[in-house]
Amino acid sequence: MHILLIEDDALVGAGIRSALETVGYTVDWSTSGEEARLALNAVASDIAILDLGLPDMDGVALLRDWRKRGVALPVLVLTARDGLADRVSGLQAGADDYLLKPFDLDELIARVQALLRRAGGHAGPIVEHGPITLDPTTQTVYCEEREVELTRREYALLSKLLHARRSILTAEQLKDALYGIEAEVESNAINVHIYHLRRKLGAGLVRTVRGLGYRLGNASDIGKRSTP
Amino acid sequence: MSLRWRLLLTLGLSFAALWGLVAVWLYSDLQDQVRDTLDQRLAASARMVAGLVAQLPESAWQNTGDPVLSVPSSAGVACQINAPSGRVLMRTHGQFDDGLESPAPGFTDRDIDGERWRLFTYVQNGVHITTADRLVERSALQRNVIAVAAVPFAVALLGSLVVLWFGIRRGLRPLERLRGELSRRAPDTLTPVEIDDAPTELRPAVDTLNQLLVRTGETLAREQRFTSDAAHELRTPLTAIKTHVQLAKRLDGDKAYAALAQAEAGIARLQRTLEQLLLLARVEAGESHFDMEQATSSAIATAALADLPNGGRVGIHENGVAIPVAVPKALATAALRNLLDNALRHTRADREVSLAIELKAARVTFVVCDQGDWPADRDTQPLTQRFWRGAASRAGAGSGLGLTIAAAIAERFAGELVFEPRPGGGLAVRLSWPRAALSED
Repeated sequence: MHILLIEDDALVGAGIRSALETVGYTVDWSTSGEEARLALNAVASDIAILDLGLPDMDGVALLRDWRKRGVALPVLVLTARDGLADRVSGLQAGADDYLLKPFDLDELIARVQALLRRAGGHAGPIVEHGPITLDPTTQTVYCEEREVELTRREYALLSKLLHARRSILTAEQLKDALYGIEAEVESNAINVHIYHLRRKLGAGLVRTVRGLGYRLGNASDIGKRSTP
Repeated sequence: MSLRWRLLLTLGLSFAALWGLVAVWLYSDLQDQVRDTLDQRLAASARMVAGLVAQLPESAWQNTGDPVLSVPSSAGVACQINAPSGRVLMRTHGQFDDGLESPAPGFTDRDIDGERWRLFTYVQNGVHITTADRLVERSALQRNVIAVAAVPFAVALLGSLVVLWFGIRRGLRPLERLRGELSRRAPDTLTPVEIDDAPTELRPAVDTLNQLLVRTGETLAREQRFTSDAAHELRTPLTAIKTHVQLAKRLDGDKAYAALAQAEAGIARLQRTLEQLLLLARVEAGESHFDMEQATSSAIATAALADLPNGGRVGIHENGVAIPVAVPKALATAALRNLLDNALRHTRADREVSLAIELKAARVTFVVCDQGDWPADRDTQPLTQRFWRGAASRAGAGSGLGLTIAAAIAERFAGELVFEPRPGGGLAVRLSWPRAALSED
């Protein structure tokens, strides 16, 4: 899953990015409203974490602008100002949740997961699809009640596919979810990860939609492991 | 006591007292006048009768024994004529026996038949002519006259009191409206007070009140902004510390160390922010317990540079001897250090920041020039606002208080802090203080 982090403070931003990366998210970090605007156009994010105190523009104004332009991205607002008016204006401008600084990393991660879950239309944290079960709190994946060992990229890819449900994801979207905006990625890197996922969880897990991209396979087709 | 009642009582009582005094005066005057008038009537009557008597032939009453004319009692003026011999020649009010005999001419009062009379006797050729009227009748007449004068008087007095009442009510209505307006307001309302057609006497008070409300509102907003900014400045490094400490617990090895190093950087920043805040509070509060040790300009520059980790990038252009400055050394150093720190933050690492010391007109000026990207036409006014930061200060965020503190220290010790955008970009900051008197040669 790809997270767009907009935080002007170098120390805080680095901390949040590291923390989110430890739980398997891909993070792109913008330090100003202008950078965030560019990043939003360049990368397919699943959620944005927005600090309201930006140097070049008011975070609330940025958020309001997004919502006006129809950006439906879930937004978690961070603020160091505890005035009620600040919180209310953030939520009114279109924030989905807010967190007051300083916060616990556990809480930040839990809220991010909750927002992603809601955005994906899931009620609980655990995502199931056919025989596959993904638990984001422990970052573990089970297939037919047997734990499957996945790399960080594989986990991120599976999580992205599961949260997208059965809609088609382009190679570009998958790349963003795995590597973020800046990484220079080999053109076949996604294919390699998909190959490994198919090997571990069955060929039916990912279906290639020619010319468009990939999507999650039917629940009934998954689990039949292809012979290597 | 309300203003209205005070006015009503003062004016009403004064009115009543004045009018009462006038009434007493008028009453006694009127009484005298009426008495004099009636006396004149008696005298005129007597003279008129005397005139008539003089026309009669002397023989007219020589052979008569009884009075020639005796009219029975009636109201009004009585009259009696006595011959020189004392014989009554004529009289009205025949029922009196020698009642109106008067030995001497002029006025006298007398009881006759249980009634009080006023007599006037006029003597002409030995003939005594006496006229008289009853005092009771006089009193009645006096009372009537006074009554005629008193009724309009009383009406006028009552009328003026009523007019007074309404006048005061009307005159004080703007005050009453102001009171109502103020009592209806919530205690924290800061909108201007507006009352219609305020009189000129009240206008300045209302205007002053409104100006005060505006100023209070501004102060309040400034304080709220400061509190909010301070919360932001303190919470941000705290967030960094907390995040990295928690991160360190989740990681191990070098990554955990790196996170702890980041947390330490956060602690250093929090400490710097706190120290700057406290210093600003001390300077702004006018605290007098600073170490008053003074120093020379070059000692201040050396101390300021020693405080800066990257002070080596500062080129010093000092032309002159060390000049004593009339500012405590610690504060002057802090102010200059902040200016240099700010200049270094906004100048690329491969460029130089220059520091020059000038002496002009008994003032010592430190000139700090950076090669930042401050546009020549940008307003420099926000630079000294608390927690204000230029968008470009990414090279390690400052506390946002450095220039504020420098400005506060400058102001505190009769100094001056001026920002001049440089033609090629960047700022020249001039910090000046009075030169101190030489303590020793």
